Amino acid sequence: MSTDSGPEHAAPAAPGKGAPRLRLRPATTMHVRYRDDLRLFPNRLRRSALAALILIWAFIPVFWDVPPFTLLSGNGISLNTLAYAGVFSIAAIGLNLLTGYTGQVSLGHSVFLAVGAYSTAYAGSVWGWPMWLWIFFAPALGWLLGAAIGPFALRLRGNYLVIVTLGLVFIGEHIFRNWRSVTGGNAGTSAAGVELNLGFVDFENLSLFGKSFGKDESFFWLIWLLVAVVAWLTKNVVRTRPGRALQAVRDRDIAAEIIGIDVGIAGYKTQAFAWSAAIAALAGALYAPLQLFISPGDFTLLVSIQFIAMIILGGMGTIYGSIIGALVITALPRLIDGISADYGVPGVAAKSTDSGLVSVASLNVIIYGFLIALFLLVEHRGLAGIWVRIRNYFSTWPFSY
Amino acid sequence: MTAFWQATFDGVASGSLYALIVLGFVVIYRATGIINFAQGGALLLGGYITYNVSTSWGWNYYAGIVLSVLVCAGFSVLLQRAMLQRVFREVVGISAGLLGWATLFYNGATHLVGLSGGVVIGLLGWFATARIEARYGDRGPSELPLFGAIMVTIGVLFIVKQVVASIWGFAELSVNDPWELSTSRVGGLVLQHSKLAAIAMAVLALGVFFLVDRYSRIGVAMRATHFDHEAAIAQGISTKIVFATAFAIAGGAAALAGSAATAGPELITPNLDFVVFFAFPAMIVGGLDSPAGAVAGGLLVGWLQNLVKTYIATTPEWFPIEDLDWLGAGFERVAIFIVMIIVLMVRPYGLLGTEEVRRV
Repeated sequence: MSTDSGPEHAAPAAPGKGAPRLRLRPATTMHVRYRDDLRLFPNRLRRSALAALILIWAFIPVFWDVPPFTLLSGNGISLNTLAYAGVFSIAAIGLNLLTGYTGQVSLGHSVFLAVGAYSTAYAGSVWGWPMWLWIFFAPALGWLLGAAIGPFALRLRGNYLVIVTLGLVFIGEHIFRNWRSVTGGNAGTSAAGVELNLGFVDFENLSLFGKSFGKDESFFWLIWLLVAVVAWLTKNVVRTRPGRALQAVRDRDIAAEIIGIDVGIAGYKTQAFAWSAAIAALAGALYAPLQLFISPGDFTLLVSIQFIAMIILGGMGTIYGSIIGALVITALPRLIDGISADYGVPGVAAKSTDSGLVSVASLNVIIYGFLIALFLLVEHRGLAGIWVRIRNYFSTWPFSY
Repeated sequence: MTAFWQATFDGVASGSLYALIVLGFVVIYRATGIINFAQGGALLLGGYITYNVSTSWGWNYYAGIVLSVLVCAGFSVLLQRAMLQRVFREVVGISAGLLGWATLFYNGATHLVGLSGGVVIGLLGWFATARIEARYGDRGPSELPLFGAIMVTIGVLFIVKQVVASIWGFAELSVNDPWELSTSRVGGLVLQHSKLAAIAMAVLALGVFFLVDRYSRIGVAMRATHFDHEAAIAQGISTKIVFATAFAIAGGAAALAGSAATAGPELITPNLDFVVFFAFPAMIVGGLDSPAGAVAGGLLVGWLQNLVKTYIATTPEWFPIEDLDWLGAGFERVAIFIVMIIVLMVRPYGLLGTEEVRRV
């Protein structure tokens, strides 16, 4: 428990003689000063817990073949899966900024991911741009596209906006299938020639402390480093003035406008679209070299819905919720795949030749649908909400508040 | 000119399908304020039930349509009660039914036995929960927030699609309907009988709907509920019945559209639900809360789609750009979304939708 937060006025009456000494404990779920409410780390415990988590996460590639982790690696989850989860975490953070914080539901997120991926594949392999250039080029393009689409949200709201973003997916898919010189059409395009070299680090052949690592390990580090950077930047945006403005727009946009928040053409709504798209495009820029080959089938409506599932499952309006959601939604299919291949799940056909009620792919889609429905019906704040409740229970334990 | 009239005829045919689908969206939106993506599930289910009755069992085609309309209306009402109002006994009943069906099927029962067993188990679960609730008091319905409700319906759409695919498979199937490939020629036009039938079905269904909506008690109740929810309740209107009716109408209309869309030369696959996504522009162009807008939007979008398709294949002489092949195959599907966005920029609530008055 920290000593630097908590109510200052809460000093109890001086205990009488002989009474047991009371230990003062701060009420961790209640703040009496705004400064405490806005802190990045409310107490030392949480800061050290996060540091420990990051440390463990950073060493995962090194200890991947060592027991507790073999539980995962033995059941169909590879480092590659975790790298994908990282890419989707970035995109989910972007979507959460738009949907969770600004309240603008977008089914068009896969288009922004695609723009990042295609622009990286093209700039990296056709133009031969170095890594430090394409890793900024994709978000810049995404930002421009988001800024172009944002103004639509000024005129439309709610259901109408959902359908327009849905239209964006179909328009985007059509363009990706037909602009063959850039996207390779239906067949897709290769991103194998994209340079993965920052000069001082070579991500294809990384050597650290005398040990050399392959692409899987180094990509894991690169992607999760960027997840950390994006999460930290976004967290700082949402807990400060712009973030409060976004949340005011979410709660009631007219009221926000009246208290002086700019909701105009260059205002917060448009900017939320632009930055959300830029973050998604950054995810796309990493997706292309990770996937090595991208085609329009990778950026369908289902992918957009997956992102929505991630933020609903993880928790709307939380940054770490996006990461948890992305991890679960990415890892779950592989886990089901691995488990049903090894042990067999009743009613699930692991191979197309098996007989069973549903195939693994169908089961995954059913599970997305089921998880979305379940979490919205039972715990609409997602896994993050469950975690907050557990945390608050223990931080005030043994009292109820 | 023949090409134009041919495109117009085809457009009216697909437009009347869109109008049926959109009518379902509009009725549900008017009653509850949500867009029900699970309409796609009802459409699929309807198409496949018609297929199953008319082709697998070899019964009368029209009996299949009637059955599919009834089943899909029931499906829609159940969905609304269990998922959107979260009536506890319905949640329990549906879960028990699904579990029972899966268990029976996995233990080697045929689809018919599995499904009817599931229905029986579900009903037993429903009655048991109802008895328990009658004794200990029920939790009452609790409505979902708007965004949540929309996402739940998307989830249901996914589940229904996969369940349908697991029952009937992913293969393209031909429905045994009375029209097959027969056509009539009028002037230079080729009129497919299945398309004429689709137009007739849509006209019939829409006509009945507009009469009910205008003159019957339940129709007035539905309009009153849309106009002012609380005032309607205060006047003694049961919103429970209004919601259920709206969902039943929508489910039935979707089933009809699903059957009509797979008649004639068309085949049925589990990807049929994509028709619903292409009906969205029609819904938006017409206006979300206007049944008349549903018809106008549906016809307009269907017509535009076929015009674009026709004129991209053979560019007319007066058009400044000679070759439009660079737009790519299937551009007509994208064109309607572009039209939708343009219409929305001019009229944010569609052509016939009511503008929402926003207050703080």
